[in-house]
Amino acid sequence: MGVITRAVRNISRRKMRALLVIIALGFSLAIMISIPAGVIANQESALGLTENLGSTITETQATINQTLTQIDCTIGSSFEGFGFAAPDQSVPSGFDFTPPDGGDGSGFTPGQFGNGTGAPGQFGGGAFGGGGTTAMNETFYNDINSTLDGVAAVVPTLEVSEGTEEEMEMMGRTFTTLSVDYVIEGIPLTSEIVDNYPVLPTDIVDGRNLQAGDSGVVLLSENNTLFFNAEVGDTIEILDETFEVIGVYSSSGVESTTTLYMNLSDAQSLTNNTGYITTLTVFAESSDVVTDVATEINDLHPELTVTTGQERLEQLESLQSTYETALEEAEASLSQTQSTAFQEVVVAVAATSLIVLFVMLYTVRERTKEIGTLKAIGFSNWTVMSQFMLEGVMLSLIAGVVGIAIASLAAPTLSGLLLPTVSQQVSTFGGARMATTNPGATSTATTAISLTPELILIALGAAVLLGALGSLYPAWRASRTRPAEAMRYE
Amino acid sequence: MSKPLLTLEKVSKTYMLGKREVPALSNLDLQVNKGEFVSIMGPSGSGKTTLLNMLGCLDKPTSGTLLLSDVDVTKMPEKDLYKIRLNKIGFVFQTFNLLPYLNARENVELPMEGKFTSKTGRKQRASELLGMVGLSGRERHRPQRLSAGEQQRVSIARALANDPAIILADEPTGNLDSKNKYEIVKLLANLNINQGTTIIMVTHDGQVAAQTERMLFLSDGKITREKQGRHVAKKKYTCPHCEGKIAPGDERCPSCKKKL
Repeated sequence: MGVITRAVRNISRRKMRALLVIIALGFSLAIMISIPAGVIANQESALGLTENLGSTITETQATINQTLTQIDCTIGSSFEGFGFAAPDQSVPSGFDFTPPDGGDGSGFTPGQFGNGTGAPGQFGGGAFGGGGTTAMNETFYNDINSTLDGVAAVVPTLEVSEGTEEEMEMMGRTFTTLSVDYVIEGIPLTSEIVDNYPVLPTDIVDGRNLQAGDSGVVLLSENNTLFFNAEVGDTIEILDETFEVIGVYSSSGVESTTTLYMNLSDAQSLTNNTGYITTLTVFAESSDVVTDVATEINDLHPELTVTTGQERLEQLESLQSTYETALEEAEASLSQTQSTAFQEVVVAVAATSLIVLFVMLYTVRERTKEIGTLKAIGFSNWTVMSQFMLEGVMLSLIAGVVGIAIASLAAPTLSGLLLPTVSQQVSTFGGARMATTNPGATSTATTAISLTPELILIALGAAVLLGALGSLYPAWRASRTRPAEAMRYE
Repeated sequence: MSKPLLTLEKVSKTYMLGKREVPALSNLDLQVNKGEFVSIMGPSGSGKTTLLNMLGCLDKPTSGTLLLSDVDVTKMPEKDLYKIRLNKIGFVFQTFNLLPYLNARENVELPMEGKFTSKTGRKQRASELLGMVGLSGRERHRPQRLSAGEQQRVSIARALANDPAIILADEPTGNLDSKNKYEIVKLLANLNINQGTTIIMVTHDGQVAAQTERMLFLSDGKITREKQGRHVAKKKYTCPHCEGKIAPGDERCPSCKKKL
């Protein structure tokens, strides 16, 4: 018959009271557990965003630094997402690349169309092409390499998006948009280009990269492998032709996640674009002359949209500052959450100890005569005190277990109710061409609240501590009761 | 005659009722020898319970000294007094004061906890004591399932748990009917005769007091009268070793010198 048994019997003696007290304490402890759990989850998600953002910016910056000498030349809008065509020319628009010689009524055949500033034969393709850029004749811009100073190399590439066409009404006109499944990127696979200029992805996760002379093979992105359900060594069908998967790359944030790479001539014949390209990538001899070369290109061919690495860097910096602002906002919101959480935990702690304090004070008062009896039959102050302390601690320990049970069921609800939500939507980078990319894609970081073993241990510890704290004064009062007075108390 | 077990010298106790001083005991002198069965009588407010609280070290006198086995307990700090109560004194209360959430045996075991007796030792002693007060087979009954007389027996067994020098009983028959009253007084008298336990009992029942050996009458905080009770005649003062005559309070037999 020890102190522990007596404590248990005393608690179970008044079942209804014990139950109510345990529920009240349990909720207060559940709040105490749920709030830190919520804050931890918020912190982790914010931390995840920071890491993601940081690494993306670093990678992009590294790639752009490497390609500072690079100048992209395209015709058409530098807008990715919607491709526009002049509606009065009644051409298919959007991402869809219609073969110029397809005879589909587009009215554009190589060399046939001029934009009014140049002679016929200057343009090929018309107002369509991947990413809203316009196809152009492969040989038309040979003069860039031959006549301009400071040009190291000119790399013609073809980019064609494939997917499902959808018609869309906008301002009384019909547009066609494309839901992109994958983007074909044709790169001239000569050793002079692939060995010297950064035209291919660098992060190969499986198989090998494309090499000079490759044909009939493709390099897929990780996303592509899911779409084609293929891995290295498999054969896949693209537009009814078969290709072998030679490697898989991981998109570093500079490339679009849906782009697959192949030989330019393969891409041209596959998409019925023999002789046509969408982008001329000009590499200047050094980063010092990039701006001059870009100006010269624009002077020579005013119809070209010219984007330099410098401009891409500026765009990146502006994006970076946008993201930093978003991150600062997230951090501010997180710190607000933390201070709210702190206040709420303080309230919960105070509530827990006050509940224990009042319940134990009531118990001590109720049992004054018992205390007198115990002292009369020889109990020391310390034994009396420990008896009541133990009762308080046990009560809140049971409540702690109940609180953990409540928290494990309702932690997300409780922390959702009590914490201001952290803005979790932060844009991520997407798209191969920084110059032509909108930071549109957003990813939602989900808040996963979980009760870790550490948190459970801390909760039980807190329950014991607060139980002891709350019953300290009542127990001390009990132990100081003068037996003669207690005996008179009825 | 051996030294008295209890000696009170000029003991006074004054309570403060607001700013008014209320004397409960005034310059009270008393000696109680070992093995005596004493009753204290008096009207309400005469200081009976106050006196008993002093004797039981539950309260301290305002002035005077109280020697218990030659130790001046009035000079003892409160934190040490529990040891006296634990080892020297057994209490029997008018309202029994049993813990309702413990059964009879557990109630009897309670004072033994402070002496760190082994668990089985405690159980065994508690069962023996309950047997002695006539409650064998009732060990596992909680107080609410026992009659008032039975509860008082449990209370007496609990008072005996640590083999105290004195049993202090505060109106032990006050809440009992006449049959049980008689049983309890008989039990106390038998304890006194058979075990030699010193008993001091407060009562306002003349019939009950008459069963004791020495009747003290208290009035206005002083002992005003003393009378012999019928118990004297019942008490056979004989040595268990040589059957020679002994006096109450003797530690050794005057004839055979053996320890009693």
